[in-house]
Amino acid sequence: MRIFENLNIDFLGKRKFFYILSSSLFLIGVVNFIFRGFTFGIDFKGGSEYVLEFQNPMTVGKLRPNIENIGLGNVELKSYGSSNAIIIRTELQTVPQTLFPGIIKKINSQIENIYPGLPYQIVDSTAKSVTYNFPNSDTANVMVDRLFREGFQTSKTTADLTNTKMTVSIGISDLIKINLKEKLKDNTFKVLKEEQVGPKVGGELKRNAVIAIFLSLVMILIYLGFRFKFIFAAGAVVALFHDVLITLGLYAALYNIIPGLNLEIDLTTVAAFLTLIGYSNNDTVIVFDRVREMMKVHKTMPIEEVVNLAINKTLSRTLITSGTTLLTTLVLLIFGGEVIRAFAFTMFFGVIIGTYSSIFVASALVVEYANKTKKKLQF
Amino acid sequence: MKEIRFRLAIIIAAIVFSVYLLYPTYVDYQKTKNLNKVLDSKKKDLLVGNPNINPDLLDKKVKQIEDSIKASDPSYVKARAQRIKLGLDLQGGMRVVLEVNTTKLINKVAKNPDEVFKGVIAESEKEAALSDESVVDIFARKLSQRGIRMSRYFGSVRDDDSKIISDLKKDAEDAVSRAMEIIRNRVDQYGVSEPSIQRQGTRRIIVELPGVAREEEAKQLLQGTALLEFRLLKDPELTFSIMQKIDNVLAGKSLIDSTKSDSTVAADTNKTKKQLAKTDTTAEQRQKDIEKNHPFFAIAHLLDSQGRSADAAVRGDERDKLTRLLNRPDVQSAIPNNVEFIYSAKPFKNTNDNKDYYTLYLVNKEPELTGGVITNARANIDPQTTSAVVDMEMNSDGAAEWSRITGANIHKRIAIILDGVAFSAPVVQGKIPGGRSQISGMANMEEAKLLEIILKAGALPAPVDIIEERTIGPSLGQDSVTNGLTSMVIGYILVGLFMIFYYRRSGEIAAATLTLIVLFVLGVLAGFGATLTLPGMAGIVLTMGMAVDANVLIYERIREELGTGKTIKASVEGGFTKAMPAILDSNITTFFTGIILYQFGTGPVQGFALTLMIGIITSLFGALVISRVIFDWMVAKGAKISVG
Repeated sequence: MRIFENLNIDFLGKRKFFYILSSSLFLIGVVNFIFRGFTFGIDFKGGSEYVLEFQNPMTVGKLRPNIENIGLGNVELKSYGSSNAIIIRTELQTVPQTLFPGIIKKINSQIENIYPGLPYQIVDSTAKSVTYNFPNSDTANVMVDRLFREGFQTSKTTADLTNTKMTVSIGISDLIKINLKEKLKDNTFKVLKEEQVGPKVGGELKRNAVIAIFLSLVMILIYLGFRFKFIFAAGAVVALFHDVLITLGLYAALYNIIPGLNLEIDLTTVAAFLTLIGYSNNDTVIVFDRVREMMKVHKTMPIEEVVNLAINKTLSRTLITSGTTLLTTLVLLIFGGEVIRAFAFTMFFGVIIGTYSSIFVASALVVEYANKTKKKLQF
Repeated sequence: MKEIRFRLAIIIAAIVFSVYLLYPTYVDYQKTKNLNKVLDSKKKDLLVGNPNINPDLLDKKVKQIEDSIKASDPSYVKARAQRIKLGLDLQGGMRVVLEVNTTKLINKVAKNPDEVFKGVIAESEKEAALSDESVVDIFARKLSQRGIRMSRYFGSVRDDDSKIISDLKKDAEDAVSRAMEIIRNRVDQYGVSEPSIQRQGTRRIIVELPGVAREEEAKQLLQGTALLEFRLLKDPELTFSIMQKIDNVLAGKSLIDSTKSDSTVAADTNKTKKQLAKTDTTAEQRQKDIEKNHPFFAIAHLLDSQGRSADAAVRGDERDKLTRLLNRPDVQSAIPNNVEFIYSAKPFKNTNDNKDYYTLYLVNKEPELTGGVITNARANIDPQTTSAVVDMEMNSDGAAEWSRITGANIHKRIAIILDGVAFSAPVVQGKIPGGRSQISGMANMEEAKLLEIILKAGALPAPVDIIEERTIGPSLGQDSVTNGLTSMVIGYILVGLFMIFYYRRSGEIAAATLTLIVLFVLGVLAGFGATLTLPGMAGIVLTMGMAVDANVLIYERIREELGTGKTIKASVEGGFTKAMPAILDSNITTFFTGIILYQFGTGPVQGFALTLMIGIITSLFGALVISRVIFDWMVAKGAKISVG
């Protein structure tokens, strides 16, 4: 089958139009960024995130009051996939100190329940834990065991001779689980996913992500500069910037707009961006390769025509490969599940913008440069 | 034709090798499917038998059945070890990054900390949470701003600040080794398969526990303070008589006639052990007899037939079985309730059958001392005997107790127990008054180093904080596997169909090549023991879309060449040659980004980078070698080639 045979479209002649298109896409992104900003996932922001799947139907609206009165402040709830699963997310790392008295009261009542009349003292209390002292090691062992089964994160403290101390760690997940277990007795849940990232780790990951993206752009610049003329490398890298920025703009624009599509910037998004860079560059290189070949054959032809010819000659390949890749990203988008939906979406859009930019941005910039300097480009 | 034959041989070898590498994965898949079926039906039986069973107990029972099935058939473990490793996001599990809490450590080692100290520490902690500078440096800077020398709180008066700072940093690094050893010890005892415990940088530990269903329990495992105890070993005679009782209970004999023929049993089991290596029928028969009459001693082999010690050895794969036997209520009633059996932490290699054995000790339940009294421990070489020893020191409270304990138990043995397993069981040589003791009997310096770390774990609990934690439930993992596989199959069918539709016969070649590419990617993953993650599966799907690119480039070129009126042979030749630079340039740059992604990413993302890179290499092989061979062969045969 031949669809794109012997085409002769004057792509570069219409480049002004595509400059406007690119600029407006970019502007839309900038405007959205200013007014809506980016939403980072907990990989970069730090915080805690839990996905709970309930046995019986559960909605965000039904769950919210049960979560809100725990006192964790601003907690974000979202449905996850199509099942009865819900994401619970907070930026907190540790339980606020104001909640401690209530939690300690709860633990105390549990202890009194298990062993009425048992004397005990609280000997230590930190931001994440409370330590109890019991009369002897046997009671301490029983308490560690029983409270653990009630959902408390207990362990024995042994930095002393007596062996009678119990430490209860109090984390956000423990608090949420204990509370929900108590309030939703008839609707049990299991934890599908639990993530907690410290603010420092988040900062590091963010920095690494930026470094990774820039590093790959620089490496592409160097490699292409080595294989082609520098202006071609520069054109390619500008096109890649163009792709990344416009896709980022899309993230700002579409966040929370499409239901079921969670467009947060996290580690997987960065992976998608890097793949997008690799893919888009792939396209550009193939066009440039043809330009290089054509320039050797048609030595007198003006650069604009050479580039146009190269684009037309490779158009068939460009569209077919983009087509098959687009097909696979579409498959991932539909069948890949919740976990990689954002990734698949980024790639899907990235393939389109990448294909577009190798024709209309990278090549056009090279032509623009050649026209401006009035120099004959050589290889 | 000759040239084709050589390349053909390479291709066939690659296919055979990939299939060979993937075979265990297939076996594992089948076995797991069967196992799950069996377990499901057993679970149902249990539920029917006891509808109100506690879910925890039910899980435990099912796990026991699973373990015993796996123990009876070693091919389970073998297939599991050689299959494609699944990432935590696919099989469920937990990834935890722990960081040693240097602030707590500074607090712990400081002498006479006052209000100023506490204030500075609190300030440094706040600042360290936001910066990359180490807490020690921040703390030192803040002290010097106030004109206070470090030696006021650390080391001796003559030490200058830089020495104290480097000592503190060394302490922090030691704490990481300690924490790692404690965690490794617990994870080993907990029985997680394929755990990974790695050190990252100077202060962090990454722990990956695949398949952990109860994350609370696992978290407890990682965070609780280590429990170091010194417990008295029971005398050999007593231990032996208790073992005897257990043996009788298990063999179904009454307890009354158990006192007879004590020594014959020991002699019996020892003989059989020696004869085990030979496989003559009488030995087999004897072994069966022993299993029937002495079920306990058939598993727990006494190490000393003269009865000087009652240490018994248990083969690594029989340990769980023995633990289950020991936990039986009738067996428990045969054991006095102030003692218990514990295992050694590390196995030793038996020279006879080259298998790992653990030592079984009978110890008091109540510890004589706990590790909090230890102030220091150091592995050394004893100048007289040139063997490895560990010197330990205790604080004054501990020293007083220790002097009493050692004085009262000369020639007896004291087990050094961390978190319930024994690391050493030295004999008390004499009363130790000052708290300074030396433990000898280590085989080498490595063992001594380990004991040093273990002893210090009691002295200086390594305070670790969880700074990053990711848990994937098994059901989400299973969903992801299904989603990934569905995407792969659908992606493959769509791309293959498109290629055939668009390029006809040549498209069929591309589709066939695509099959092999996927086979190779999976084969390489299995061969290198690399981990497959969900993004990794997405990478394979994406690879399918991008892999045909090379074919497309070549086909388009062949069409162009044909268009200029060249022969088929020349067109194929020209198509491949002219497409080559474009294919290489474009793939090399994508490969670069793959490398960067692998460098910077974690877990799942690395899995993606890996499949992307493997995908690029195999698709180059697919297009440039496999497709080429097929074309060359068709050209040589004079077959009609249609490029759409």
